[in-house]
Amino acid sequence: MWIPIQINDQSAEPLYYQIEVQLRALILSGQLMSGTLLPSIRELALQLKCSVITIRRVYQDLEAEGLLRTKQGTGTFVADVGEQARDTHRLKAVEAAMDSAVEAGRRANCTPEELDQLYREAVARSQYKR
Amino acid sequence: METAQPAVRLDGVQFTTDRFRLGPIHLEVPRGYVTAIVGPNGSGKSSTFRLLLDLIKPEAGTIELLGSRPHSRNPELRQRLAYVPETNSDCDEGLRASEKAAFHQLWYPTWDVNRYQELLRRFDVDPSVRLGKMSKGMRQKLELALALAHQPELLLLDEPSSGLDPIAWKHMLETLSRYMEDGSRTILVASHLIEEVRRLADYIVVMSRGQVLGVYEKDALFDNWRTYYLIGDGLEERMLTQGPGVHAVERMGGQAYKLISSASQSTEQWLHREALPVTGQQPMELDDIMEALIARQQPFS
Repeated sequence: MWIPIQINDQSAEPLYYQIEVQLRALILSGQLMSGTLLPSIRELALQLKCSVITIRRVYQDLEAEGLLRTKQGTGTFVADVGEQARDTHRLKAVEAAMDSAVEAGRRANCTPEELDQLYREAVARSQYKR
Repeated sequence: METAQPAVRLDGVQFTTDRFRLGPIHLEVPRGYVTAIVGPNGSGKSSTFRLLLDLIKPEAGTIELLGSRPHSRNPELRQRLAYVPETNSDCDEGLRASEKAAFHQLWYPTWDVNRYQELLRRFDVDPSVRLGKMSKGMRQKLELALALAHQPELLLLDEPSSGLDPIAWKHMLETLSRYMEDGSRTILVASHLIEEVRRLADYIVVMSRGQVLGVYEKDALFDNWRTYYLIGDGLEERMLTQGPGVHAVERMGGQAYKLISSASQSTEQWLHREALPVTGQQPMELDDIMEALIARQQPFS
Protein backbone atom coordinates (compact mmCIF):
# COMPACT_ATOMS: atom_id res chain seq x y z
CA MET A 1 0.00 0.00 0.00
CA TRP A 2 1.28 3.43 -0.91
CA ILE A 3 1.00 6.10 1.77
CA PRO A 4 0.98 9.73 0.54
CA ILE A 5 3.82 11.09 2.63
CA GLN A 6 6.17 13.65 1.09
CA ILE A 7 9.64 14.10 2.50
CA ASN A 8 11.09 17.58 2.19
CA ASP A 9 14.85 17.10 1.88
CA GLN A 10 15.46 20.80 2.33
CA SER A 11 13.59 21.01 5.61
CA ALA A 12 15.60 21.32 8.80
CA GLU A 13 13.05 19.16 10.60
CA PRO A 14 14.26 15.67 11.47
CA LEU A 15 13.02 12.94 9.15
CA TYR A 16 11.11 10.98 11.80
CA TYR A 17 9.26 14.17 12.77
CA GLN A 18 8.22 14.95 9.19
CA ILE A 19 6.89 11.42 8.72
CA GLU A 20 5.15 11.38 12.09
CA VAL A 21 3.35 14.70 11.54
CA GLN A 22 2.07 13.64 8.13
CA LEU A 23 1.01 10.16 9.15
CA ARG A 24 -0.79 11.57 12.17
CA ALA A 25 -2.58 14.08 9.93
CA LEU A 26 -3.62 11.32 7.50
CA ILE A 27 -5.15 9.35 10.37
CA LEU A 28 -6.82 12.27 12.10
CA SER A 29 -8.25 13.68 8.90
CA GLY A 30 -9.82 10.29 8.22
CA GLN A 31 -7.87 9.80 4.97
CA LEU A 32 -6.56 6.62 6.53
CA MET A 33 -9.62 5.02 8.05
CA SER A 34 -9.64 2.98 11.22
CA GLY A 35 -8.81 -0.63 10.56
CA THR A 36 -6.53 0.17 7.60
CA LEU A 37 -3.49 -2.10 7.51
CA LEU A 38 -0.35 0.00 7.16
CA PRO A 39 2.69 -1.14 5.13
CA SER A 40 5.26 -3.12 7.08
CA ILE A 41 8.09 -1.14 8.64
CA ARG A 42 10.54 -2.35 6.00
CA GLU A 43 8.17 -1.54 3.12
CA LEU A 44 7.50 2.01 4.26
CA ALA A 45 11.22 2.52 4.89
CA LEU A 46 11.96 1.56 1.27
CA GLN A 47 9.20 3.82 -0.02
CA LEU A 48 10.39 6.83 1.96
CA LYS A 49 14.12 6.02 1.62
CA CYS A 50 14.64 6.05 5.35
CA SER A 51 15.77 3.46 7.84
CA VAL A 52 13.53 0.97 9.63
CA ILE A 53 14.69 2.58 12.84
CA THR A 54 12.87 5.79 11.90
CA ILE A 55 9.65 4.07 10.82
CA ARG A 56 9.62 1.91 13.96
CA ARG A 57 9.95 5.05 16.04
CA VAL A 58 7.04 6.71 14.22
CA TYR A 59 4.81 3.63 14.58
CA GLN A 60 5.69 3.36 18.28
CA ASP A 61 4.99 7.05 18.95
CA LEU A 62 1.62 6.92 17.19
CA GLU A 63 0.76 3.69 18.94
CA ALA A 64 1.48 5.37 22.26
CA GLU A 65 -0.87 8.18 21.22
CA GLY A 66 -3.55 5.59 20.53
CA LEU A 67 -3.67 6.25 16.78
CA LEU A 68 -2.19 2.90 15.75
CA ARG A 69 -2.34 -0.59 17.13
CA THR A 70 -0.06 -3.51 16.37
CA LYS A 71 -1.25 -7.09 16.21
CA GLN A 72 1.56 -9.55 16.74
CA GLY A 73 2.28 -11.34 13.49
CA THR A 74 -0.34 -9.45 11.48
CA GLY A 75 0.87 -5.89 11.25
CA THR A 76 0.10 -2.35 12.22
CA PHE A 77 -3.42 -0.96 11.86
CA VAL A 78 -5.06 2.42 12.18
CA ALA A 79 -6.92 2.51 15.50
CA ASP A 80 -10.41 3.88 16.15
CA VAL A 81 -9.95 7.58 16.62
CA GLY A 82 -12.72 9.41 18.48
CA GLU A 83 -14.37 12.54 17.09
CA GLN A 84 -12.93 14.59 19.92
CA ALA A 85 -9.34 13.51 19.24
CA ARG A 86 -9.89 14.31 15.59
CA ASP A 87 -11.00 17.82 16.45
CA THR A 88 -8.11 18.61 18.80
CA HIS A 89 -5.59 17.31 16.29
CA ARG A 90 -7.24 18.71 13.19
CA LEU A 91 -5.47 22.06 13.33
CA LYS A 92 -2.09 20.81 14.56
CA ALA A 93 -0.58 20.27 11.09
CA VAL A 94 -1.88 23.63 9.90
CA GLU A 95 -0.44 25.28 12.99
CA ALA A 96 2.98 23.77 12.28
CA ALA A 97 2.88 24.98 8.67
CA MET A 98 1.96 28.47 9.89
CA ASP A 99 4.87 28.43 12.32
CA SER A 100 7.34 27.65 9.57
CA ALA A 101 5.84 30.35 7.34
CA VAL A 102 6.22 32.89 10.15
CA GLU A 103 9.79 31.71 10.68
CA ALA A 104 10.55 32.25 6.97
CA GLY A 105 9.10 35.73 7.30
CA ARG A 106 11.22 36.46 10.34
CA ARG A 107 14.36 35.49 8.44
CA ALA A 108 13.38 37.93 5.69
CA ASN A 109 12.82 40.65 8.32
CA CYS A 110 9.08 40.94 7.67
CA THR A 111 7.01 43.05 10.02
CA PRO A 112 3.87 41.49 11.56
CA GLU A 113 1.83 43.77 9.24
CA GLU A 114 3.60 42.44 6.19
CA LEU A 115 3.01 38.86 7.35
CA ASP A 116 -0.65 39.68 7.85
CA GLN A 117 -0.85 41.07 4.34
CA LEU A 118 0.95 38.03 2.86
CA TYR A 119 -1.41 35.69 4.69
CA ARG A 120 -4.49 37.47 3.30
CA GLU A 121 -3.04 37.40 -0.20
CA ALA A 122 -2.32 33.66 0.06
CA VAL A 123 -5.91 32.98 1.13
CA ALA A 124 -7.22 35.13 -1.71
CA ARG A 125 -5.03 33.32 -4.23
CA SER A 126 -6.21 29.88 -3.14
CA GLN A 127 -9.88 30.93 -3.31
CA TYR A 128 -9.27 32.34 -6.74
CA LYS A 129 -7.85 28.98 -7.88
CA ARG A 130 -10.97 27.17 -6.75
CA MET B 1 21.42 -0.47 18.54
CA GLU B 2 19.81 -3.67 19.73
CA THR B 3 21.32 -5.54 22.63
CA ALA B 4 20.98 -8.86 20.79
CA GLN B 5 24.14 -10.54 19.63
CA PRO B 6 25.46 -8.78 16.52
CA ALA B 7 25.46 -10.66 13.22
CA VAL B 8 29.08 -9.71 12.61
CA ARG B 9 31.69 -8.61 15.10
CA LEU B 10 35.25 -7.53 14.38
CA ASP B 11 37.43 -6.80 17.34
CA GLY B 12 40.86 -5.29 16.80
CA VAL B 13 41.18 -6.97 13.42
CA GLN B 14 44.33 -6.21 11.46
CA PHE B 15 45.59 -7.28 8.09
CA THR B 16 48.65 -6.00 6.25
CA THR B 17 50.17 -6.50 2.84
CA ASP B 18 53.18 -4.62 1.51
CA ARG B 19 50.90 -2.04 -0.06
CA PHE B 20 47.94 -1.85 2.29
CA ARG B 21 47.15 -1.87 5.98
CA LEU B 22 43.68 -2.65 7.24
CA GLY B 23 42.68 -1.90 10.81
CA PRO B 24 42.72 -2.26 13.68
CA ILE B 25 39.00 -2.56 13.02
CA HIS B 26 36.33 -2.66 15.69
CA LEU B 27 32.90 -3.10 14.17
CA GLU B 28 29.56 -4.59 15.14
CA VAL B 29 26.91 -5.20 12.51
CA PRO B 30 23.49 -5.43 14.19
CA ARG B 31 21.17 -8.33 13.43
CA GLY B 32 17.94 -7.59 11.63
CA TYR B 33 19.23 -4.54 9.77
CA VAL B 34 20.83 -3.52 6.51
CA THR B 35 24.28 -2.08 7.11
CA ALA B 36 26.07 -0.42 4.19
CA ILE B 37 29.84 0.01 4.04
CA VAL B 38 30.83 3.07 2.05
CA GLY B 39 34.21 4.52 1.29
CA PRO B 40 36.56 5.48 -1.53
CA ASN B 41 38.38 2.88 -3.60
CA GLY B 42 41.03 1.14 -1.56
CA SER B 43 39.39 1.90 1.77
CA GLY B 44 39.31 -1.77 2.75
CA LYS B 45 35.72 -2.78 1.99
CA SER B 46 36.54 -5.84 -0.09
CA SER B 47 39.36 -6.92 2.23
CA THR B 48 36.87 -6.81 5.09
CA PHE B 49 34.58 -9.17 3.17
CA ARG B 50 37.51 -11.48 2.41
CA LEU B 51 38.33 -11.59 6.10
CA LEU B 52 34.74 -12.44 7.00
CA LEU B 53 34.75 -15.29 4.47
CA ASP B 54 38.05 -16.61 5.77
CA LEU B 55 39.64 -16.10 2.36
CA ILE B 56 42.41 -14.18 4.12
CA LYS B 57 43.45 -14.46 7.78
CA PRO B 58 43.86 -11.52 10.13
CA GLU B 59 47.22 -11.15 11.89
CA ALA B 60 45.50 -9.84 14.99
CA GLY B 61 42.04 -9.54 16.47
CA THR B 62 38.97 -11.73 16.43
CA ILE B 63 36.09 -12.08 13.97
CA GLU B 64 32.67 -13.53 14.73
CA LEU B 65 29.91 -14.32 12.26
CA LEU B 66 26.53 -15.27 13.72
CA GLY B 67 28.31 -16.12 16.94
CA SER B 68 30.99 -18.36 15.39
CA ARG B 69 34.53 -17.90 14.15
CA PRO B 70 34.63 -17.78 10.36
CA HIS B 71 36.15 -20.92 8.95
CA SER B 72 35.90 -21.88 5.34
CA ARG B 73 35.62 -25.49 6.41
CA ASN B 74 32.73 -24.89 8.78
CA PRO B 75 29.80 -25.96 6.59
CA GLU B 76 27.20 -25.24 9.27
CA LEU B 77 28.19 -21.60 9.35
CA ARG B 78 28.49 -21.38 5.57
CA GLN B 79 24.96 -22.72 5.20
CA ARG B 80 23.62 -19.80 7.22
CA LEU B 81 25.23 -17.15 5.05
CA ALA B 82 25.59 -16.14 1.45
CA TYR B 83 28.06 -13.97 -0.39
CA VAL B 84 27.74 -12.28 -3.74
CA PRO B 85 31.15 -10.99 -4.89
CA GLU B 86 31.65 -7.97 -7.07
CA THR B 87 33.27 -9.94 -9.85
CA ASN B 88 32.51 -13.58 -10.43
CA SER B 89 35.15 -16.22 -10.85
CA ASP B 90 35.58 -17.56 -14.36
CA CYS B 91 36.14 -21.17 -13.30
CA ASP B 92 32.47 -22.06 -13.74
CA GLU B 93 31.91 -20.31 -17.07
CA GLY B 94 31.21 -23.60 -18.83
CA LEU B 95 28.34 -24.40 -16.46
CA ARG B 96 24.70 -23.69 -17.20
CA ALA B 97 22.77 -21.83 -14.53
CA SER B 98 20.68 -24.93 -13.89
CA GLU B 99 23.85 -26.96 -13.25
CA LYS B 100 25.20 -24.43 -10.83
CA ALA B 101 21.85 -24.38 -9.03
CA ALA B 102 21.98 -28.18 -8.70
CA PHE B 103 25.41 -27.82 -7.15
CA HIS B 104 24.13 -25.23 -4.66
CA GLN B 105 21.23 -27.48 -3.79
CA LEU B 106 23.71 -30.17 -2.66
CA TRP B 107 25.35 -27.85 -0.19
CA TYR B 108 22.37 -26.08 1.29
CA PRO B 109 19.76 -28.18 3.11
CA THR B 110 17.49 -25.14 3.31
CA TRP B 111 17.53 -24.66 -0.49
CA ASP B 112 14.06 -23.64 -1.66
CA VAL B 113 13.57 -24.57 -5.28
CA ASN B 114 10.30 -22.65 -5.63
CA ARG B 115 11.90 -19.53 -4.31
CA TYR B 116 14.80 -19.98 -6.69
CA GLN B 117 12.46 -20.34 -9.67
CA GLU B 118 10.47 -17.32 -8.58
CA LEU B 119 13.65 -15.22 -8.34
CA LEU B 120 14.77 -16.32 -11.81
CA ARG B 121 11.42 -15.25 -13.21
CA ARG B 122 11.49 -11.98 -11.35
CA PHE B 123 15.02 -11.20 -12.53
CA ASP B 124 14.28 -12.51 -16.01
CA VAL B 125 17.19 -14.98 -16.08
CA ASP B 126 17.27 -17.86 -18.55
CA PRO B 127 18.72 -20.85 -16.61
CA SER B 128 19.74 -22.76 -19.76
CA VAL B 129 22.43 -20.23 -20.72
CA ARG B 130 26.06 -20.99 -19.89
CA LEU B 131 27.50 -18.63 -17.27
CA GLY B 132 30.32 -17.61 -19.60
CA LYS B 133 27.80 -16.43 -22.20
CA MET B 134 25.83 -14.25 -19.78
CA SER B 135 26.15 -10.48 -19.69
CA LYS B 136 27.57 -9.04 -16.49
CA GLY B 137 24.12 -7.96 -15.31
CA MET B 138 22.51 -11.30 -16.11
CA ARG B 139 25.25 -13.12 -14.24
CA GLN B 140 24.84 -10.78 -11.28
CA LYS B 141 21.09 -11.46 -11.16
CA LEU B 142 21.70 -15.21 -11.26
CA GLU B 143 24.20 -14.96 -8.40
CA LEU B 144 21.66 -12.99 -6.35
CA ALA B 145 18.98 -15.62 -6.98
CA LEU B 146 21.43 -18.37 -5.98
CA ALA B 147 22.38 -16.48 -2.84
CA LEU B 148 18.81 -15.87 -1.73
CA ALA B 149 17.38 -19.31 -2.55
CA HIS B 150 18.61 -20.94 0.64
CA GLN B 151 17.23 -18.11 2.81
CA PRO B 152 20.50 -17.19 4.52
CA GLU B 153 20.51 -15.44 7.89
CA LEU B 154 23.37 -13.23 6.80
CA LEU B 155 23.81 -11.89 3.29
CA LEU B 156 27.12 -10.32 2.28
CA LEU B 157 26.96 -8.24 -0.90
CA ASP B 158 29.94 -6.56 -2.55
CA GLU B 159 28.70 -3.93 -5.02
CA PRO B 160 25.55 -5.92 -5.83
CA SER B 161 24.29 -3.53 -8.49
CA SER B 162 27.30 -3.68 -10.79
CA GLY B 163 26.08 -4.32 -14.31
CA LEU B 164 22.37 -4.09 -13.48
CA ASP B 165 20.05 -1.99 -15.59
CA PRO B 166 17.75 0.44 -13.70
CA ILE B 167 14.76 -1.89 -13.73
CA ALA B 168 16.74 -4.93 -12.58
CA TRP B 169 18.27 -2.70 -9.92
CA LYS B 170 14.83 -1.68 -8.68
CA HIS B 171 13.73 -5.33 -8.60
CA MET B 172 16.83 -6.17 -6.63
CA LEU B 173 16.09 -3.49 -4.03
CA GLU B 174 12.52 -4.72 -3.65
CA THR B 175 13.66 -8.33 -3.39
CA LEU B 176 16.24 -7.48 -0.75
CA SER B 177 13.72 -5.41 1.15
CA ARG B 178 11.27 -8.34 1.14
CA TYR B 179 14.03 -10.70 2.25
CA MET B 180 14.48 -8.43 5.30
CA GLU B 181 10.75 -8.58 6.22
CA ASP B 182 11.39 -11.53 8.48
CA GLY B 183 13.14 -9.19 10.93
CA SER B 184 15.93 -11.53 12.00
CA ARG B 185 17.99 -11.43 8.82
CA THR B 186 20.97 -9.22 8.19
CA ILE B 187 22.54 -7.66 5.11
CA LEU B 188 26.05 -6.25 5.00
CA VAL B 189 26.54 -4.48 1.70
CA ALA B 190 29.47 -2.56 0.23
CA SER B 191 28.21 0.05 -2.19
CA HIS B 192 29.44 2.97 -4.25
CA LEU B 193 25.92 3.97 -5.21
CA ILE B 194 24.60 6.76 -3.04
CA GLU B 195 21.03 6.12 -4.13
CA GLU B 196 21.32 2.45 -3.24
CA VAL B 197 22.53 3.29 0.26
CA ARG B 198 19.78 5.89 0.56
CA ARG B 199 17.07 3.37 -0.20
CA LEU B 200 18.36 0.22 1.39
CA ALA B 201 20.51 0.93 4.42
CA ASP B 202 19.58 1.33 8.07
CA TYR B 203 23.16 1.85 9.26
CA ILE B 204 26.13 3.29 7.40
CA VAL B 205 29.75 2.38 8.06
CA VAL B 206 32.24 4.87 6.64
CA MET B 207 35.65 3.43 5.80
CA SER B 208 38.76 5.14 4.51
CA ARG B 209 42.38 4.02 4.14
CA GLY B 210 41.82 0.80 6.03
CA GLN B 211 40.05 2.42 8.98
CA VAL B 212 36.44 2.59 10.12
CA LEU B 213 35.71 6.30 10.56
CA GLY B 214 32.31 5.74 12.10
CA VAL B 215 29.05 3.82 12.21
CA TYR B 216 25.91 5.91 11.85
CA GLU B 217 22.21 5.40 11.83
CA LYS B 218 21.36 6.55 8.32
CA ASP B 219 18.58 9.03 9.03
CA ALA B 220 20.38 10.51 12.03
CA LEU B 221 23.41 11.04 9.80
CA PHE B 222 21.39 12.96 7.21
CA ASP B 223 19.52 14.90 9.91
CA ASN B 224 22.74 15.89 11.65
CA TRP B 225 24.87 17.02 8.73
CA ARG B 226 23.96 20.35 7.12
CA THR B 227 25.63 23.19 5.28
CA TYR B 228 25.03 26.82 6.18
CA TYR B 229 25.99 29.89 4.17
CA LEU B 230 26.83 33.13 5.93
CA ILE B 231 27.56 36.55 4.50
CA GLY B 232 28.38 39.61 6.59
CA ASP B 233 30.99 42.08 7.82
CA GLY B 234 33.04 41.09 10.79
CA LEU B 235 32.68 37.35 10.37
CA GLU B 236 35.85 35.53 11.31
CA GLU B 237 36.84 32.05 10.35
CA ARG B 238 38.37 31.35 13.76
CA MET B 239 35.21 32.35 15.58
CA LEU B 240 32.97 30.31 13.25
CA THR B 241 35.14 27.20 13.64
CA GLN B 242 34.42 27.25 17.36
CA GLY B 243 30.64 27.12 16.97
CA PRO B 244 28.94 24.06 18.46
CA GLY B 245 28.66 21.20 15.97
CA VAL B 246 30.77 23.02 13.37
CA HIS B 247 32.85 20.47 11.50
CA ALA B 248 34.53 22.73 8.95
CA VAL B 249 34.48 26.33 7.74
CA GLU B 250 35.36 27.36 4.23
CA ARG B 251 35.83 30.91 3.03
CA MET B 252 33.94 31.42 -0.20
CA GLY B 253 35.55 34.75 -1.02
CA GLY B 254 34.69 38.22 0.26
CA GLN B 255 32.69 38.05 3.45
CA ALA B 256 30.97 34.78 2.52
CA TYR B 257 31.54 31.57 4.44
CA LYS B 258 30.34 28.02 4.07
CA LEU B 259 29.91 26.18 7.31
CA ILE B 260 29.59 22.40 7.56
CA SER B 261 27.85 21.13 10.67
CA SER B 262 27.77 17.58 11.97
CA ALA B 263 25.25 18.47 14.68
CA SER B 264 22.79 20.72 12.88
CA GLN B 265 20.49 21.28 15.84
CA SER B 266 23.19 22.72 18.11
CA THR B 267 24.67 24.71 15.25
CA GLU B 268 21.31 26.13 14.31
CA GLN B 269 20.52 27.20 17.87
CA TRP B 270 23.91 28.85 18.11
CA LEU B 271 23.53 30.68 14.78
CA HIS B 272 20.15 31.90 15.98
CA ARG B 273 21.36 32.91 19.43
CA GLU B 274 24.35 34.82 18.07
CA ALA B 275 22.12 36.35 15.36
CA LEU B 276 24.68 35.44 12.69
CA PRO B 277 23.83 36.43 9.10
CA VAL B 278 22.71 33.09 7.61
CA THR B 279 21.71 33.49 3.97
CA GLY B 280 20.98 29.88 3.18
CA GLN B 281 21.23 26.29 4.27
CA GLN B 282 21.19 22.94 2.65
CA PRO B 283 21.14 19.23 3.51
CA MET B 284 24.19 17.20 2.54
CA GLU B 285 24.48 14.18 0.31
CA LEU B 286 26.37 11.10 1.40
CA ASP B 287 29.40 11.84 -0.79
CA ASP B 288 29.77 15.31 0.76
CA ILE B 289 29.49 13.89 4.28
CA MET B 290 32.07 11.21 3.47
CA GLU B 291 34.42 13.80 2.05
CA ALA B 292 34.10 15.94 5.18
CA LEU B 293 34.72 12.94 7.45
CA ILE B 294 37.74 11.80 5.44
CA ALA B 295 39.22 15.31 5.40
CA ARG B 296 39.41 15.13 9.19
CA GLN B 297 41.02 11.69 9.26
CA GLN B 298 44.43 11.64 10.91
CA PRO B 299 47.10 11.09 8.26
CA PHE B 300 48.15 7.45 8.53
CA SER B 301 47.88 7.08 12.28
